[in-house]
Amino acid sequence: MKPEDQRLTSEQVGSIVKMLSLTTDREFNCAECLQHVSEFAECQLAKKPVGEVIASVEQHLALCPECREEYEALMKILKAGK
Amino acid sequence: MTQNEINWPAALRATDSGEQAAAVRALRDVLHNGLRIALNSRSDVSEAHLEDFAQESLLRVLDRLDQFQGRSKFTTWAQAIALNVAFTELRRKRWQDVSLDALMADGERLTEPAMIADDVLGADEDRTRLVATLRHAIENDLTPKQRAAILGELREMPFDQIVEMLGTSRSAGYKMLHDARRALKQRLHEAGITGADIQNAFNL
Ligand SMILES: [Zn+2]
Repeated sequence: MKPEDQRLTSEQVGSIVKMLSLTTDREFNCAECLQHVSEFAECQLAKKPVGEVIASVEQHLALCPECREEYEALMKILKAGK
Repeated sequence: MTQNEINWPAALRATDSGEQAAAVRALRDVLHNGLRIALNSRSDVSEAHLEDFAQESLLRVLDRLDQFQGRSKFTTWAQAIALNVAFTELRRKRWQDVSLDALMADGERLTEPAMIADDVLGADEDRTRLVATLRHAIENDLTPKQRAAILGELREMPFDQIVEMLGTSRSAGYKMLHDARRALKQRLHEAGITGADIQNAFNL
Protein backbone atom coordinates (compact mmCIF):
# COMPACT_ATOMS: atom_id res chain seq x y z
CA MET A 1 0.00 0.00 0.00
CA LYS A 2 1.24 3.50 -0.82
CA PRO A 3 1.55 5.94 2.11
CA GLU A 4 -1.32 8.04 0.86
CA ASP A 5 -3.55 4.96 0.86
CA GLN A 6 -2.77 4.50 4.53
CA ARG A 7 -4.17 7.84 5.48
CA LEU A 8 -7.41 7.98 7.35
CA THR A 9 -10.29 9.39 5.40
CA SER A 10 -12.67 11.91 6.81
CA GLU A 11 -15.16 9.08 7.10
CA GLN A 12 -12.76 6.94 9.16
CA VAL A 13 -11.90 9.76 11.54
CA GLY A 14 -15.64 10.34 11.82
CA SER A 15 -16.13 6.71 12.74
CA ILE A 16 -13.47 6.86 15.50
CA VAL A 17 -15.20 9.92 16.86
CA LYS A 18 -18.57 8.23 16.61
CA MET A 19 -17.24 5.17 18.47
CA LEU A 20 -16.04 7.48 21.22
CA SER A 21 -19.35 9.26 21.49
CA LEU A 22 -21.08 5.87 21.94
CA THR A 23 -18.55 4.57 24.48
CA THR A 24 -19.83 4.02 28.01
CA ASP A 25 -18.06 2.69 31.11
CA ARG A 26 -19.99 -0.57 31.20
CA GLU A 27 -20.64 -2.31 27.89
CA PHE A 28 -21.63 -5.72 26.61
CA ASN A 29 -18.88 -7.58 24.82
CA CYS A 30 -19.70 -9.72 21.78
CA ALA A 31 -20.39 -12.87 23.82
CA GLU A 32 -22.84 -11.04 26.08
CA CYS A 33 -24.47 -9.50 23.05
CA LEU A 34 -24.91 -12.93 21.46
CA GLN A 35 -26.48 -14.27 24.64
CA HIS A 36 -29.19 -11.56 24.58
CA VAL A 37 -29.57 -10.64 20.91
CA SER A 38 -32.40 -13.13 20.30
CA GLU A 39 -34.55 -11.41 22.93
CA PHE A 40 -33.70 -8.01 21.47
CA ALA A 41 -34.57 -9.18 17.94
CA GLU A 42 -37.95 -10.54 19.05
CA CYS A 43 -38.75 -7.27 20.83
CA GLN A 44 -37.84 -5.32 17.70
CA LEU A 45 -39.98 -7.55 15.55
CA ALA A 46 -42.97 -7.21 17.89
CA LYS A 47 -42.25 -3.47 18.28
CA LYS A 48 -42.14 -3.98 22.04
CA PRO A 49 -40.16 -1.61 24.28
CA VAL A 50 -36.82 -2.99 25.43
CA GLY A 51 -35.70 -3.31 29.05
CA GLU A 52 -32.41 -2.22 30.54
CA VAL A 53 -30.43 -5.39 29.77
CA ILE A 54 -31.65 -5.41 26.23
CA ALA A 55 -30.78 -1.74 25.78
CA SER A 56 -27.15 -2.82 26.23
CA VAL A 57 -27.59 -5.00 23.14
CA GLU A 58 -28.67 -1.98 21.14
CA GLN A 59 -25.64 -0.03 22.33
CA HIS A 60 -23.29 -2.88 21.42
CA LEU A 61 -24.87 -3.24 17.97
CA ALA A 62 -24.24 0.44 17.31
CA LEU A 63 -20.54 -0.07 18.05
CA CYS A 64 -19.85 -3.52 16.64
CA PRO A 65 -20.26 -4.08 12.89
CA GLU A 66 -19.91 -7.85 13.21
CA CYS A 67 -22.65 -8.36 15.77
CA ARG A 68 -24.75 -5.94 13.73
CA GLU A 69 -24.25 -8.02 10.60
CA GLU A 70 -25.35 -11.14 12.47
CA TYR A 71 -28.32 -9.33 14.01
CA GLU A 72 -29.49 -8.14 10.60
CA ALA A 73 -29.26 -11.69 9.29
CA LEU A 74 -31.28 -12.91 12.29
CA MET A 75 -33.98 -10.33 11.56
CA LYS A 76 -34.08 -11.56 7.97
CA ILE A 77 -34.80 -15.09 9.21
CA LEU A 78 -37.41 -13.93 11.72
CA LYS A 79 -39.20 -11.81 9.13
CA ALA A 80 -39.25 -14.71 6.68
CA GLY A 81 -40.87 -16.89 9.35
CA LYS A 82 -43.58 -14.40 10.27
CA MET B 1 -46.49 -30.36 16.59
CA THR B 2 -45.22 -27.09 15.15
CA GLN B 3 -41.76 -25.78 15.92
CA ASN B 4 -43.11 -23.29 18.42
CA GLU B 5 -44.90 -25.96 20.43
CA ILE B 6 -41.87 -28.18 20.90
CA ASN B 7 -40.20 -27.89 24.29
CA TRP B 8 -36.80 -27.88 22.66
CA PRO B 9 -34.48 -28.00 25.69
CA ALA B 10 -36.46 -30.94 27.14
CA ALA B 11 -36.64 -32.79 23.83
CA LEU B 12 -32.94 -32.32 23.16
CA ARG B 13 -32.15 -33.72 26.60
CA ALA B 14 -34.71 -36.53 26.41
CA THR B 15 -33.56 -39.83 27.88
CA ASP B 16 -35.58 -41.66 25.22
CA SER B 17 -32.92 -41.89 22.54
CA GLY B 18 -35.46 -41.97 19.70
CA GLU B 19 -37.13 -38.79 20.89
CA GLN B 20 -33.78 -37.11 21.44
CA ALA B 21 -32.47 -38.05 17.99
CA ALA B 22 -35.65 -36.76 16.36
CA ALA B 23 -35.30 -33.43 18.16
CA VAL B 24 -31.66 -33.12 17.09
CA ARG B 25 -32.63 -33.81 13.47
CA ALA B 26 -35.45 -31.28 13.62
CA LEU B 27 -33.18 -28.64 15.11
CA ARG B 28 -30.59 -29.26 12.44
CA ASP B 29 -33.27 -28.63 9.78
CA VAL B 30 -34.35 -25.43 11.49
CA LEU B 31 -30.77 -24.15 11.55
CA HIS B 32 -30.12 -25.22 7.99
CA ASN B 33 -33.23 -23.42 6.72
CA GLY B 34 -32.40 -20.29 8.67
CA LEU B 35 -28.85 -20.20 7.34
CA ARG B 36 -30.16 -20.63 3.81
CA ILE B 37 -32.50 -17.64 4.21
CA ALA B 38 -29.81 -15.50 5.81
CA LEU B 39 -27.03 -16.28 3.36
CA ASN B 40 -28.92 -16.78 0.09
CA SER B 41 -27.66 -13.54 -1.43
CA ARG B 42 -23.99 -14.38 -0.91
CA SER B 43 -22.03 -15.68 -3.85
CA ASP B 44 -19.30 -17.11 -1.58
CA VAL B 45 -21.66 -19.56 0.14
CA SER B 46 -22.36 -22.92 -1.50
CA GLU B 47 -24.78 -25.69 -0.55
CA ALA B 48 -21.83 -27.57 0.98
CA HIS B 49 -21.01 -24.55 3.15
CA LEU B 50 -24.61 -24.45 4.39
CA GLU B 51 -24.36 -28.13 5.34
CA ASP B 52 -21.11 -27.53 7.21
CA PHE B 53 -22.40 -24.45 8.99
CA ALA B 54 -25.61 -26.27 10.01
CA GLN B 55 -23.68 -29.21 11.41
CA GLU B 56 -21.15 -27.08 13.26
CA SER B 57 -23.79 -24.79 14.72
CA LEU B 58 -25.90 -27.74 15.81
CA LEU B 59 -22.97 -28.98 17.90
CA ARG B 60 -22.39 -25.49 19.29
CA VAL B 61 -26.04 -25.13 20.30
CA LEU B 62 -26.11 -28.55 21.97
CA ASP B 63 -22.93 -27.67 23.80
CA ARG B 64 -24.47 -24.43 25.12
CA LEU B 65 -27.90 -25.80 25.99
CA ASP B 66 -27.42 -24.89 29.66
CA GLN B 67 -26.97 -21.23 28.72
CA PHE B 68 -30.48 -20.92 27.26
CA GLN B 69 -32.47 -18.83 29.72
CA GLY B 70 -35.84 -18.89 28.02
CA ARG B 71 -35.87 -15.14 27.39
CA SER B 72 -36.64 -15.66 23.72
CA LYS B 73 -37.92 -18.55 21.67
CA PHE B 74 -35.43 -21.36 21.68
CA THR B 75 -35.17 -21.37 17.89
CA THR B 76 -34.35 -17.63 17.78
CA TRP B 77 -31.60 -18.15 20.34
CA ALA B 78 -30.23 -21.13 18.38
CA GLN B 79 -30.37 -19.25 15.05
CA ALA B 80 -28.32 -16.41 16.57
CA ILE B 81 -25.62 -18.93 17.50
CA ALA B 82 -25.75 -20.51 14.04
CA LEU B 83 -25.28 -17.11 12.38
CA ASN B 84 -22.34 -16.38 14.67
CA VAL B 85 -20.72 -19.68 13.63
CA ALA B 86 -21.30 -19.04 9.93
CA PHE B 87 -20.25 -15.38 9.79
CA THR B 88 -17.15 -16.01 11.93
CA GLU B 89 -16.02 -18.64 9.44
CA LEU B 90 -16.81 -16.50 6.38
CA ARG B 91 -14.89 -13.54 7.82
CA ARG B 92 -11.93 -15.70 8.72
CA LYS B 93 -11.59 -16.87 5.13
CA ARG B 94 -11.66 -13.37 3.72
CA TRP B 95 -8.93 -12.04 6.01
CA GLN B 96 -6.65 -15.00 6.53
CA ASP B 97 -3.71 -13.48 4.64
CA VAL B 98 -3.28 -10.28 6.63
CA SER B 99 -0.25 -10.39 8.94
CA LEU B 100 0.25 -9.02 12.43
CA ASP B 101 3.45 -7.22 11.44
CA ALA B 102 1.65 -5.25 8.76
CA LEU B 103 -1.17 -4.33 11.12
CA MET B 104 1.20 -3.27 13.91
CA ALA B 105 3.27 -1.19 11.47
CA ASP B 106 0.17 0.49 10.09
CA GLY B 107 -1.09 1.04 13.64
CA GLU B 108 2.10 2.93 14.45
CA ARG B 109 1.49 5.20 11.48
CA LEU B 110 -1.71 6.38 13.13
CA THR B 111 0.54 8.66 15.19
CA GLU B 112 2.03 10.36 12.14
CA PRO B 113 0.55 13.76 11.32
CA ALA B 114 0.28 12.76 7.67
CA MET B 115 -2.12 9.95 8.58
CA ILE B 116 -4.94 12.40 8.90
CA ALA B 117 -5.33 14.28 5.64
CA ASP B 118 -5.77 18.04 5.72
CA ASP B 119 -9.27 17.91 4.33
CA VAL B 120 -10.31 15.87 7.37
CA LEU B 121 -9.44 18.83 9.55
CA GLY B 122 -11.74 21.12 7.64
CA ALA B 123 -12.05 24.85 8.09
CA ASP B 124 -14.02 24.62 11.28
CA GLU B 125 -11.99 25.58 14.35
CA ASP B 126 -13.71 23.18 16.75
CA ARG B 127 -13.23 20.29 14.41
CA THR B 128 -9.54 21.11 13.93
CA ARG B 129 -9.05 21.15 17.68
CA LEU B 130 -10.93 17.89 18.12
CA VAL B 131 -8.87 16.07 15.50
CA ALA B 132 -5.60 17.48 16.91
CA THR B 133 -6.55 16.35 20.43
CA LEU B 134 -7.57 12.94 19.13
CA ARG B 135 -4.30 12.49 17.25
CA HIS B 136 -2.29 13.50 20.32
CA ALA B 137 -4.21 11.02 22.46
CA ILE B 138 -3.78 8.18 19.96
CA GLU B 139 -0.05 8.87 20.03
CA ASN B 140 0.39 9.23 23.79
CA ASP B 141 -2.32 7.30 25.56
CA LEU B 142 -2.58 4.06 23.62
CA THR B 143 -0.30 1.03 23.52
CA PRO B 144 0.95 -0.23 20.14
CA LYS B 145 -1.50 -3.12 20.34
CA GLN B 146 -4.40 -0.78 21.07
CA ARG B 147 -3.44 1.35 18.06
CA ALA B 148 -3.26 -1.74 15.87
CA ALA B 149 -6.66 -2.90 17.15
CA ILE B 150 -8.32 0.45 16.46
CA LEU B 151 -6.85 0.52 12.97
CA GLY B 152 -8.04 -3.02 12.34
CA GLU B 153 -11.55 -1.94 13.34
CA LEU B 154 -11.42 1.02 10.97
CA ARG B 155 -10.46 -1.29 8.14
CA GLU B 156 -13.43 -3.46 9.04
CA MET B 157 -11.17 -6.36 9.84
CA PRO B 158 -13.07 -9.08 11.70
CA PHE B 159 -12.64 -8.89 15.43
CA ASP B 160 -11.66 -12.58 15.62
CA GLN B 161 -8.84 -11.84 13.23
CA ILE B 162 -7.64 -8.88 15.26
CA VAL B 163 -7.55 -10.82 18.52
CA GLU B 164 -5.88 -13.79 16.90
CA MET B 165 -3.16 -11.56 15.52
CA LEU B 166 -2.68 -9.85 18.83
CA GLY B 167 -2.43 -13.24 20.50
CA THR B 168 -5.23 -12.59 22.93
CA SER B 169 -8.71 -13.91 23.68
CA ARG B 170 -11.91 -12.38 22.38
CA SER B 171 -12.98 -11.04 25.76
CA ALA B 172 -9.50 -9.69 26.60
CA GLY B 173 -9.36 -8.15 23.11
CA TYR B 174 -12.73 -6.50 23.58
CA LYS B 175 -11.61 -5.12 26.93
CA MET B 176 -8.42 -3.77 25.36
CA LEU B 177 -10.40 -1.95 22.71
CA HIS B 178 -12.97 -0.73 25.22
CA ASP B 179 -10.17 0.63 27.45
CA ALA B 180 -8.65 2.36 24.41
CA ARG B 181 -11.94 4.04 23.52
CA ARG B 182 -12.45 5.11 27.13
CA ALA B 183 -8.92 6.57 27.31
CA LEU B 184 -9.46 8.59 24.14
CA LYS B 185 -12.86 9.76 25.30
CA GLN B 186 -11.39 10.81 28.64
CA ARG B 187 -8.72 12.90 26.89
CA LEU B 188 -11.32 14.69 24.79
CA HIS B 189 -13.31 15.28 27.95
CA GLU B 190 -10.25 16.74 29.71
CA ALA B 191 -9.67 19.04 26.76
CA GLY B 192 -13.19 20.37 27.33
CA ILE B 193 -14.62 18.72 24.21
CA THR B 194 -18.17 17.57 24.89
CA GLY B 195 -20.40 15.05 23.20
CA ALA B 196 -22.30 17.92 21.60
CA ASP B 197 -19.05 19.34 20.17
CA ILE B 198 -18.26 15.97 18.64
CA GLN B 199 -21.69 15.68 17.13
CA ASN B 200 -21.56 19.18 15.68
CA ALA B 201 -18.06 18.81 14.27
CA PHE B 202 -18.87 15.56 12.49
CA ASN B 203 -22.58 15.99 11.87
CA LEU B 204 -23.34 12.79 13.77
ZN1 LIG C 1 -19.85 -7.54 18.92
